Amino acid sequence: MARIIGGIGTSHVPTIGAAYDRKKQSDPDWAPLFKGYEPVKAWLDGKKPDVLVFFYNDHATTFFFDHYPTFALGVSAEYPIADEGSGPRPVPPLKGHPALARHMADSLVNDEFDISVWQDLPIDHGVHSPLTMFWPPSPGWPGKIVPIEINVLQHPIPTPARCWKLGRAVRRALLSYPEDLKVVIVGTGGLSHQMNGERAGFNNEKWDMKFLDLIARDPKKLTAMRHADYIRLGGTEGAEEIMWLAMRGALSPRARKIHQNYYLPMTTAMAVALFEEPATGSESKDARS
Amino acid sequence: MNPQLKGVEKIEGTHIFNLEASAKALRLNRFLHGLTIPHNRTLFKANPEAALDKADLSAQERRMVRELDWAALIRYGASFFCLEKLGRVKGVSNPEMVAGFRGESLEEFLKTRNVPGAR
Repeated sequence: MARIIGGIGTSHVPTIGAAYDRKKQSDPDWAPLFKGYEPVKAWLDGKKPDVLVFFYNDHATTFFFDHYPTFALGVSAEYPIADEGSGPRPVPPLKGHPALARHMADSLVNDEFDISVWQDLPIDHGVHSPLTMFWPPSPGWPGKIVPIEINVLQHPIPTPARCWKLGRAVRRALLSYPEDLKVVIVGTGGLSHQMNGERAGFNNEKWDMKFLDLIARDPKKLTAMRHADYIRLGGTEGAEEIMWLAMRGALSPRARKIHQNYYLPMTTAMAVALFEEPATGSESKDARS
Repeated sequence: MNPQLKGVEKIEGTHIFNLEASAKALRLNRFLHGLTIPHNRTLFKANPEAALDKADLSAQERRMVRELDWAALIRYGASFFCLEKLGRVKGVSNPEMVAGFRGESLEEFLKTRNVPGAR
């Protein structure tokens, strides 16, 4: 069966990808960001997962408001890099895992999580801006991804508690996959930022630190909050943090946070947190909680 | 009323992109989203008025797009993530758009940031 070996929470600011593409590793303005991802990259290099399952949001790129999916699972073998207005990033198309993704669709729907399914569509920076920091292509990608889009753009967006439950359902789907695969769960977005109105540029370092603590130690506190709370504390786009809750929900209660980095250079607080599952244990028992 | 958003109206300087805004600005957002397609960008760069005609935008929508009036666009109901596409086509960075929302110049906005060079 597929095994979940850990999780990653990460911001997905487009400039993270741009800094990678422009090779800013030793630029003093960007070095603290690259440095913060090094332990994540080293961990993945050591663990060699087969698949990264991404909870992420599209930015009105792949999908438009004529039909904006609340939750949507990608089931393609390959995903082109999306053109977001200035041509696609110079990285290869992302590789999918259609057999696992189809199994996840079957499992989720039979678990009464009636998710939309998509294929043959490009993916934007919500997945690949952080991906190149910890799983860069050389020249091909080190492994495969399964993308799960979450609407955080057009309210009503799914509740924090529902995102947690999606994570639990994805966990059950993965643990029931017959093939022996090592899987890491990724949740992207946040932390505090706001990209509209006179309040644009809002950040809240204190709240960001509290979030990074609670996501590891007491995530149920975060699922009990409402979107209005997230917006008040972390800005309108800080509400993206619900995708970290889906990631955390897919991990076992015994997962430990083993690394985090926080960098707030400009408009968005850029954070990354790495979670590791204990090496052994009865994972299927945890899946029922 | 969405119970998840109760109280959000008290937060000043904040626009919530909800179904009402989405319906009001659908044509405008569709035009902006369309800038992810190269031939639409080519037309918009070569002949902006023809591109605005093709999108059937209102006089108000055209003025805001022509003048890159970011604050007015976002108030009107444009999605920030659709405006980002226009920003990329016009060579305007996100910090510059954020400065526009705040009613500041880019220089004024950068003074409030921890690492002004990180853009």
